[in-house]
Amino acid sequence: MTATINRQPANPGRRLLLAWMVAIFVFLYLPIIVIIIYSFNGGRNLYVWTEWSTHWYGVAIDNPRALSALYVSIRTALINAVIAVAFGVFAGIALARRKGAWTVPYLGLIFVILGIPELVSAIGQMIWFDRLGIFDGITRLSIGHSLFNVAVVALIVRARAEGLGETLEHAAADLGARPWRSFIDITLPLMFPAVLAGLLLSFTFSFDDVIISLFVQRPGTSTFPIYILSAMKAGLKGDVAALAVMMLIVSMIGIAIAAWLIARGGRGRTLGGLLG
Amino acid sequence: MAELTADTVPIRIHRRGMPRWTMAWPALAWWTVFFIVPLLWIVVYSFGSRPGAEAPGPVALETLSFDNYRQALSEIFFRVFQITMRTAGLGTILCALFGFPVAYAIAMHVPARWRSILVFLLIVPYWTSFLLRTFAWRIILAPQGTLSDVLQALGILSRPLLILDSNAAVQLGIVYNYLPVMILPIYVALERIDTSLIRASMDLGAGPLRTFLQVTLPLAMPGLLGGLVLTFILAAGDYVVPTILGGTKGLMVGNLIATQILASQNLPLGSAMAVMLIGLLAGVLILAGLVLFVLQRLLKLARGAPL
Repeated sequence: MTATINRQPANPGRRLLLAWMVAIFVFLYLPIIVIIIYSFNGGRNLYVWTEWSTHWYGVAIDNPRALSALYVSIRTALINAVIAVAFGVFAGIALARRKGAWTVPYLGLIFVILGIPELVSAIGQMIWFDRLGIFDGITRLSIGHSLFNVAVVALIVRARAEGLGETLEHAAADLGARPWRSFIDITLPLMFPAVLAGLLLSFTFSFDDVIISLFVQRPGTSTFPIYILSAMKAGLKGDVAALAVMMLIVSMIGIAIAAWLIARGGRGRTLGGLLG
Repeated sequence: MAELTADTVPIRIHRRGMPRWTMAWPALAWWTVFFIVPLLWIVVYSFGSRPGAEAPGPVALETLSFDNYRQALSEIFFRVFQITMRTAGLGTILCALFGFPVAYAIAMHVPARWRSILVFLLIVPYWTSFLLRTFAWRIILAPQGTLSDVLQALGILSRPLLILDSNAAVQLGIVYNYLPVMILPIYVALERIDTSLIRASMDLGAGPLRTFLQVTLPLAMPGLLGGLVLTFILAAGDYVVPTILGGTKGLMVGNLIATQILASQNLPLGSAMAVMLIGLLAGVLILAGLVLFVLQRLLKLARGAPL
């Protein structure tokens, strides 16, 4: 009876558990696989499988409205990512290296920003941007997307800074480096993987965003996901699926690299801790 | 003169000249101007009224009243609110039932080197476009689709699959989208458990079931509760899933609020509904905190008492 957990015998309970785990992973990836397969459906009706074809990819690429929406999305995502990193990196380092009474309410605000229904935050921004009336479409979108992403970058950088500890900064101080010098020469370079991960995540989250964009966009600056959403409402055709898959591939590559960078820095726990 | 140790000196030098948390100010300023101020405006707008036909702007703020809240409590809104709570609540419970075994399997029954990879595989779809993963379910569940054909060929269904544009489809979409949000916090809690505690429990004669209920589950409780709260909050405020999978029959509060603002141009009413949603979610959060507190108390009592 004793120490059964050590040997992990192939008992039926354990097998059942692992089978369930595999089934859930299949469930999570099923829609992604299905949409990729169906984007190659040559038939007129997206839902009814007829034959393999890249026909709809040709149609999708030859669509000026989709391309201009894509251009808006890329510009927005880039500006947003720069803002997110510029503010988030310093906030993250401060959270790890300058702990104090301020840390708890500050982290509280971050969790409110991450947890609040996006819809509510989007309505507030729409009201505020309309009242200010000074920003153009891309600026409204970039600022709107950046709020969430500054918080994401701050948490990633904080995790990395805490994981590494302060030994190297102490050594630099021992060797006579002034605080700013040690910050620029030691702290910032050490944060590089986290900064890169934050940049990629911010770009992808902005690139995929629907709700903020729906509310803060101005006529003429619709993003790519908004274009896809309206195309979906108008009726599904193969070209929308093809566009969707292209978008999916871009964001999956970005996410995968970012997740790998975060996981490598602090074992799987950091990755889980970001959501948990 | 006080003795200087290797530990104290560098820290003192390091800290000198750098104020305590200046580096955190720019982000705070950014959030204050573009996050906190907008939220306050929603509250202000929720007390306003729709302007007359000639008046400029989306809202009249001359006379503030609770009219929007009264209107928001009307029958239709209350009904949709109820449906939203039920869908989010049931979705959260289903996520917990489906997700706990997965978190348990990854934390306890998978070799350590596989764990990071599985967590990675769990996060990648969650972080990837919500819109497209939800949209893909329309292809899977379509009445003329492959699944429908297969189910009919097997004799399980006598007519095409008619689940799209209903509450059931929204329920499925909610469970699908938020499952990783439930699994990850539970996994993090389980992974931290010192397995020697479990072995000790077994050594002392407790069976696997008793060990699970009295050792593993209580230790996983913070993660489980975190997952429950997070899933419920995200699901209750969702807009994308009901929009894409719910049609006109699977409405949730998110749709109702968005319709008031984007289609009906009734910003004050939409704002009032948004404030009520936030109030309700904050209530749930406080309740969850209380439950955790009471549970911990009970646990202490149970440990003291002979069983």
